[in-house]
Amino acid sequence: MVTLYRPGDSPWHRLRPGPKMALLLLIVLGVCLLPVTWWAAGVMTGVCLVCYAVPDVGMRELGRQLFTARWILGVTLAGQLIFLGPESAAANTVRVAVACALAALLALTTPATELLETIERAMAPLAWLRIDPRRAALTLSVTLSTLPVLATLARDVREAQRARGGGRSLRHFAMPFLVMALKHADELGDALAARGVR
Amino acid sequence: MSGLDLQGVSVRLGDTDVLRDVTLSLDVRTIAIIGENGSGKSTLARLLSGLVVASDGTVRVLGLDPVRQAAELRRRVAVVFSNPDAQIIMPTVTEDVAFSLRTEKAPRHEKAERVAAALDRFGLAELATRSSHELSGGEKQLLALCGAFVRRPDLVVADEPTAYLDARNARRIADHLLADAAHRLVLVTHDLGLARRCDTAVLVEDGTVTAVGAPERVIATYEAGIRW
Repeated sequence: MVTLYRPGDSPWHRLRPGPKMALLLLIVLGVCLLPVTWWAAGVMTGVCLVCYAVPDVGMRELGRQLFTARWILGVTLAGQLIFLGPESAAANTVRVAVACALAALLALTTPATELLETIERAMAPLAWLRIDPRRAALTLSVTLSTLPVLATLARDVREAQRARGGGRSLRHFAMPFLVMALKHADELGDALAARGVR
Repeated sequence: MSGLDLQGVSVRLGDTDVLRDVTLSLDVRTIAIIGENGSGKSTLARLLSGLVVASDGTVRVLGLDPVRQAAELRRRVAVVFSNPDAQIIMPTVTEDVAFSLRTEKAPRHEKAERVAAALDRFGLAELATRSSHELSGGEKQLLALCGAFVRRPDLVVADEPTAYLDARNARRIADHLLADAAHRLVLVTHDLGLARRCDTAVLVEDGTVTAVGAPERVIATYEAGIRW
């Protein structure tokens, strides 16, 4: 599920999107540069807890975000445990968890429209490469908001399959799903054009 | 402000003539477009909103050429589609409505006030922070309408906006569309009761306009042509 903005009055909410994005990026970078040790894992955990220990965000939200990322974290932990041992596995998994949680913190405390404007500004230098920053930022935003729609379409196709006595055939799933996804893309294109996006 | 003026308009999609030689000149506030599935109603609506370009003929919407004055047309014409899911672009209700004002040059606080007023008007204020995709069908269509109206359009083109809704929600959407005297409305609909509430009706059959006038008369023509 895509992380949604939660209105509030925390220091993170009050910080402007640009500086907030830069600050969180710096923290994630700092966390990535720490050595792969038990104490580093502790420091990373501490940093993450401090970032979330503000009103209107809180530990429950941190738990929710980590639960959402449980599969990524599980696979990371398992792979590292097998090949690198417990200390590396713990440190690297905590590193990934902190990165996920801090990225979510940005989305949680910044309205998507402001985030979009900030990404646009940040991408402005790419204009000399003939990349339209407005279009690139919008593409990112539309991609994220389309994920729940695609999940709904996939569920609808599976239910229709079951209702008609079909099994779990990938071929029978892929074709109608692709058609519905393309139809949705077509309609979304019209909706964007109708709302002033060229 | 002139209304709609189409002179000898045809629309060809691939090898198919979806609209053929349509001539229509209307200057009323609310217009219903009725007709069978596949008759060309939606293409006519898309033509008026600049989403489809005429292959032949001339089109003027509010006095604007949809091709040469596309940006101005998009600013003044809002579109509501039948599938509310396809109209949601941003993750939360407030953000989705605010997205409609993205291209407008206005101070941030003014945009926020307009969004709040629109949410209030459409009864969505309590859902402001909810995920757009988790709303019910009726709420999603209200959100789509809210996103269209927040731009204060001169013309709203609604393509079967009540098609996916139950009777109560369909009534709510219709009341919102028809109540506001500040905009003109072109309504594509299969709901003949809704068509009766418009000032004028247009019957589209097999890609051409076959009747235009008072809704009762046009609906009677349409019903007379239904074969059981």
